[in-house]
Amino acid sequence: MNAMVSHKIVFTGTPGAGKTTAIAALSDKPPVLTDVRNTDASLGKERTTVGLDFGEVDLGDGQSVRLLGTPGQLRFEFMWQIIATDALGLVILIDNSRPDPLADLATYLDAYEALLPSMNCAVGVGRTLECPLPTLDDFADALAARGWVFPVLAVDVRERDDVLMLVDTVLAQAETRI
Amino acid sequence: MSYSEHHLARHARLVADALLTDVDGASAIVVATADGFHLAQSGPRSVDPARLAAIVSSLAALGDAASRETGIGTPRCLVVDCSDGRLVVRCVEVQGEALIVVLLTDRSILLGLALNSLAKAEQLMNAA
Repeated sequence: MNAMVSHKIVFTGTPGAGKTTAIAALSDKPPVLTDVRNTDASLGKERTTVGLDFGEVDLGDGQSVRLLGTPGQLRFEFMWQIIATDALGLVILIDNSRPDPLADLATYLDAYEALLPSMNCAVGVGRTLECPLPTLDDFADALAARGWVFPVLAVDVRERDDVLMLVDTVLAQAETRI
Repeated sequence: MSYSEHHLARHARLVADALLTDVDGASAIVVATADGFHLAQSGPRSVDPARLAAIVSSLAALGDAASRETGIGTPRCLVVDCSDGRLVVRCVEVQGEALIVVLLTDRSILLGLALNSLAKAEQLMNAA
């Protein structure tokens, strides 16, 4: 009997970018959530993740992916490192309706800088229909300026197929490293 | 909103001061919102209250997730029991709002006394 191979992929990104939603969209079972009532009016949402999200998806062929979501706020940076330890890959979710999405990307690239050389990474940009700027090319250029070449995809994290595409992109990078 | 002007900041300061007086061996007390903003602190030990508030917010939320997963009811306390002290975290509800009270102690104090003092602290905040 072949043993199940389980990969760990971490979803990070700004508050409201859809990390919890993405994991819920893809997970085979209802995810473990650690959201609480949000008291920060600037976020404009009722609840916010303060611990981690956890879901799991069976990809078939004896492979599954554990999906872990980080809290978005910088004050939870200590959790970002804990959650990302030993992860196969990282998905950075960007909300293009925020004031400076490129600066948001830079925040997470800085935070994971030490881990990125050994990780597979994809950037998912949400709300691109309502907010087309910056473009996906702008994000790719910002990555290239820092020496990174990662796939940048427009996504709707409510759509399971979009989230699966992000995960698949990370797994494909991992395949090429073998 | 400044968290020093939070509508429960006065309650938080009251209980932080009361715990420091009530608990021998208490070195720091921090009161935080459930989403990790600090409302009050007291005690002689130097801690970064903003950072500790965020950390215990995560701990409390993970404790809540664990209790839901195992069906053991509403979380009350989490204890980080270490070689040189304890971090005792009490999840409280004050005027319908979830808060977290953190008590940092040395190892001289009995854990039961710390838990009892934290339970009284919740009553004090709700009576204030």
